[in-house]
Amino acid sequence: MLRLGEKVTVFDGGMGSELEKLGFDGCPEELNITHPEVIKEIHRSYSCADCIMTNTFGLNKIKYKGKYPIKELALKAVENARAAGKKVIFDIGPTGAMIEPLGTMTFDEAYEAFAEIVEYTKDLVDGYIAETFSDLYEIKACILAIKEHSDKPVFATMTFDSTGRTLTGSTPEIVANTLEGLGVDALGVNCSAGPKELTGVVESFLKYSGVPVMVQPNRGLPVLKDGKTQYVLDIEEFDYYIEKFIESGVSVVGGCCGTTPEFIKRISRFSGQAVKPRTVENATVVNSATKAVTIDGVKICGERLNPTGKKKLKEALLAGDLDYLVDEAVAQQEAGADILDLNVGLPQLDEKTVIVEALKKVQEYVDLPLQIDSSDKCAIERGARYYNGIPLINSVNGEDEVMDAIFPIAKKYGAVVLGLTMDGSGVPKTAKERFEIAKRIVERAQSYGIPRHKIMIDTLVLTASAEQRLVKETVEALRLVQSLGVKTALGVSNVSFGLPNRGLLNKTFLTMAMTCGLNMPIMNPLDGEMTGAVKAFAVLSGEDENSENYIGIYKDFAGAVTTVKTAKVEHIRGANLYDCIKNGIKSQAADLCKKELETSDPMSVVNGVLIKALEEVGRLYDEGKLFLPQLVSSAEAAKCAFEVVGERLPKGIAKKGKIVLATVKGDVHDIGKNIVKVVLESYGYEVADLGKDVPPQKVVDACRKFKPLAVGLSALMTTTVKSMAETVTALKQDGCKCPVFVGGAVLNDEIAQKIGANYYTKDALEFVKVLEKLN
Amino acid sequence: MSSSKLTERIYAYLGFHSVEKSGETDAAILTCLDELKEIAHFRYKYKFFNTPPEFLKKEPYTSYLRGSSGVIVAVMTLGGEVDARIKFLGRTHAAKALVFDACASAYLEHLSDEYEKTLGDNLSYRFCPGYGGSSVEDLKFIFKILSPEKIGVTLSDANYMLPSKSMAGVIAVGGALQKTCGSCIVADNCKYLKGGVKCYGSEKK
Repeated sequence: MLRLGEKVTVFDGGMGSELEKLGFDGCPEELNITHPEVIKEIHRSYSCADCIMTNTFGLNKIKYKGKYPIKELALKAVENARAAGKKVIFDIGPTGAMIEPLGTMTFDEAYEAFAEIVEYTKDLVDGYIAETFSDLYEIKACILAIKEHSDKPVFATMTFDSTGRTLTGSTPEIVANTLEGLGVDALGVNCSAGPKELTGVVESFLKYSGVPVMVQPNRGLPVLKDGKTQYVLDIEEFDYYIEKFIESGVSVVGGCCGTTPEFIKRISRFSGQAVKPRTVENATVVNSATKAVTIDGVKICGERLNPTGKKKLKEALLAGDLDYLVDEAVAQQEAGADILDLNVGLPQLDEKTVIVEALKKVQEYVDLPLQIDSSDKCAIERGARYYNGIPLINSVNGEDEVMDAIFPIAKKYGAVVLGLTMDGSGVPKTAKERFEIAKRIVERAQSYGIPRHKIMIDTLVLTASAEQRLVKETVEALRLVQSLGVKTALGVSNVSFGLPNRGLLNKTFLTMAMTCGLNMPIMNPLDGEMTGAVKAFAVLSGEDENSENYIGIYKDFAGAVTTVKTAKVEHIRGANLYDCIKNGIKSQAADLCKKELETSDPMSVVNGVLIKALEEVGRLYDEGKLFLPQLVSSAEAAKCAFEVVGERLPKGIAKKGKIVLATVKGDVHDIGKNIVKVVLESYGYEVADLGKDVPPQKVVDACRKFKPLAVGLSALMTTTVKSMAETVTALKQDGCKCPVFVGGAVLNDEIAQKIGANYYTKDALEFVKVLEKLN
Repeated sequence: MSSSKLTERIYAYLGFHSVEKSGETDAAILTCLDELKEIAHFRYKYKFFNTPPEFLKKEPYTSYLRGSSGVIVAVMTLGGEVDARIKFLGRTHAAKALVFDACASAYLEHLSDEYEKTLGDNLSYRFCPGYGGSSVEDLKFIFKILSPEKIGVTLSDANYMLPSKSMAGVIAVGGALQKTCGSCIVADNCKYLKGGVKCYGSEKK
C-alpha cells in the first residue's frame, strides 16, 4: 500500500533513453511483444524504486497506429513491468493530437482513447500515471477516463517550459487547482528540463496544491554532442536537487529522459522517509486553461451572458447564433470583468446540450473563468465536465434535494459552488436566518468532501422598491457569513428594479456591499461607473497597493479622454458618416449614423451614404490604393452603422438575407473566411458563420435551416479541396438551390468548376460584388 | 534581420506591394509586434542527419539537398497563445487581427532565421513540405522523426500543424544552396518576389 503524502515514494527513471542506449529506435511500445526480455531487464534495473511505470507512453488508439492490438500490448507491458517485483503504475501519455478548439480532436475522442486502455488494465495494475501532458484539457479527459473506469490511485504530471508554463499556457497554479479539483492522488511535473530548472515550478506546486506533489525531472538540459542529443548532468547534482525538493515537502520523486538506474538507485535512499509538512494556500480559485482568478478583494463577475431580460441574446440563442454570445463575452472581458456568468436557460432549448456548445464557444475566444449558471442539474453536470479548467457553479441553496444533486457534481469536477441563502420557504427576512442557511450549506458541502474555500455564499439582493427595509439585511448577512471562512457574492443590480436612475442606486449599493465584505459582485461590467467603483474601492480599502492598478487605468483621466476625442474629431473634422466609413473609424460610426438619421430616412442613409462609401473603398482597394487592413476597418465601421440603421427599419427590411459561411472539414485556417464575414456584414448581409473544420453535413443542415442566399466555403490547403468538393456534392445532393461560392489560397476558377461550385471569388470584395449582381 | 526588413515582410504578407504604405498600418504593426513579443513562446525542435532520412530521397528534395553534407529536419512554433490572441482580435478588431496574423507569420520566420544562425554557418534556406512540388503529406514523416508534440505542435489528419503559427522545414547543411532568392525553388512563382519583396535580401539570379 502506497502511503502518498505520508512517506516519500520513489518512481523509476528513463525508459526511452535506456532503449536508445541499446540501439532500439523503433516504436518502444511494440518492444513489449517483440523484445519482452529487454523491457523486463530495464524494469528490473529499476527495482530499487517503489513504483515501476509500464512501457506504454504512446499506447492509445489515436497515437499508436502499429500492427499489434492495443489490448495485447497493454497486457504484455504490465506483465513485463511485474518482472521488477514492485508496484506497477500504468503509464499513459498524450494522444499527440490537439483537442478542439486548439485542434480538431473532440474531448470525447480523447476520453475514449484513454478509457480503452484503462478498461483493459484496471484489474492488473496498482495505479495509473498520466504524464508529459502539455494540454490541461487533454489531461482532464485522461483523468476522468481513469477515474470513471478504475478505483486505483491516479498520478498526474505535466511538462513546463522555461517560462514556467505548460506548452498551452497553463501556470503551475492553474495545473494544481485543476488536477487537485479532479481528485488525483498526486500531481506535479515531469520531463521539461533538469531538476534545477524546475525549482520554481515545484515551489508553486507546493504552495498551491493540497495533494502530494510529484517531480520526475530530466537529467538536466540536453546538449548537442557529435550531432546527437545527450544528457550530461551528473548524479551528484541530480541527487542534490531531489533532496532539496523532498526537504520542501515533495512526496513522490523519480526521473525522466536521460536518467538511468544509477540515478534512481541514488535517490531511492529517500524512499519511506516521512514527507515534510508544508503550508498550502487554500484560496478560492477558479480558472480557465490560461487564467486563474483568486477570489479575494473584489472580483467582477459579468452578468451579460444570460438571456433573462435580454431580448437580443434570447433571439440569438433560439436561432443557434452563438456568435452573439461570444461578442458579449469579449466585450465584458475588454471592459474589465474577471469571471463571466454563463446561463442559457430558455424553455425552448435543450439546456444540457446548448450549455456545452456555448461554453466551448466562449472559451475559444475568452480566457476568463466561467460561472456555469443553471437550475438544471444535467446542464450543470455537462457544463462542469466539458469546461476547460475549474468553474464556478451557480448555484445551490439550503434545500436538501438541491444540495444532494449539485454537491456530488462539484466534488467530482472540483468546481467552486455558489450557495444562495434561501430554502423551500423562500428568502428569509433577517440576516441571522440567512447566515443559518449559509452555515447549513457549508456543513453539507463538507460532508461531501468539499472544503470551505470551494464555497461562496450569495446573501441575495431584494429590490429596494418592494423590500426597502431588507436591503440592509442582505448587507449585514454579508458581514456575518464571512465568519464561516467563505467568500461572498451578490447580484447587485437587482436592488434597483422599479426605481428611476437605477445606475445611481446600483453604484451606491455596490459600494455599501463592498464595505461589508462583498467579494464578487455579479454585475454589468460595461457600466463604467460600476467598474469604476470597484477600482476606486480597491484603492480606498488598501487592496490596490500604492494605487498602482487605479493609476494605471486613470492616470491620464481628464487629459486622455479629451485628447482622444479631439484627435478623433480632428481626423474626421467637418466630416460625416461617409468619411467615417471611408476612413474606417469604427468608434465614431454609430454616433455619426445616428446624427445622419436625424435628417435622412434610413434607406437614404443605406443607399446614399453607407453603400456609396463602401463602393468608394472597394474601388480604391481594387486600384491598389487601399490595403486589406483598411478595407476591413471600413467594413467594421459600416457594420456598426448598419446596426444603428437596422434598429430604425421595420424587421425584415434591414437585412438583405442570410449567407452561410464555413471553412471546410480538415481545415482550421479561418482568417480569410472571417474577412469575408466582416465585409458581407458591412453590406447588410446576415452571416451564419459555421466556423472552421466544418463537416459537410453541418453545412447541409445549415442550408436547410437558414435557406440562405448563398453558401461560401473556404479552404486553404490542397488537401482540403477534396473536403470542399464533398461539401459541394452533399449540398447539391440535398437539393440545395442557392449558389455555392468557394475561395481560398489554393482555389481558382478551374478547380471551382471541377468540384461543382457556382462561383470562385478571389477575395471578399469580389464575393460581395457577385452577390449584389445576383440579388 | 533588421526591424525594417521585418516590417517589409509583414507588409508583403498583408498584400502591400507597390502601393504607398499607411502610417496607421505602421503604427498597428508596431503595436502588434510589441504584443507578440509578450505572448509568443518561440520553440524550435530539430534533428541533424548525416544522410537524409528516407522521405527526403525523392524530388524535389534530392535537388535541394544536392551537394550537401548533412540535413537538419526541424519544427518551430510561436505557441498557442498567439492563435488565441488572433481569435480574440478577430472579434474585437478585425483589421488589427489581420495585421497581427501577418506580424506573427513574419515574426516566426524571423525568430527561426535567427535561431538557425546558431546551428551553423553553412546552412541553406528552410525548405518546407508543401512547397516547390513537394507534398504536405511529408509532414507526417517529420512528425514521426521529431515528435514535436514535445514543443506543443501537433499535426491534424489533413496535415495541418497546430498551433497555426508553426512551421516545419528541411535545411541542407554544407555546400548546398545558400539562402538567396535566386536559389529558392519557388522563385519563379513567388508572389512576394514579383512584388519586389525578397525573403533573403539577396539578388535574384
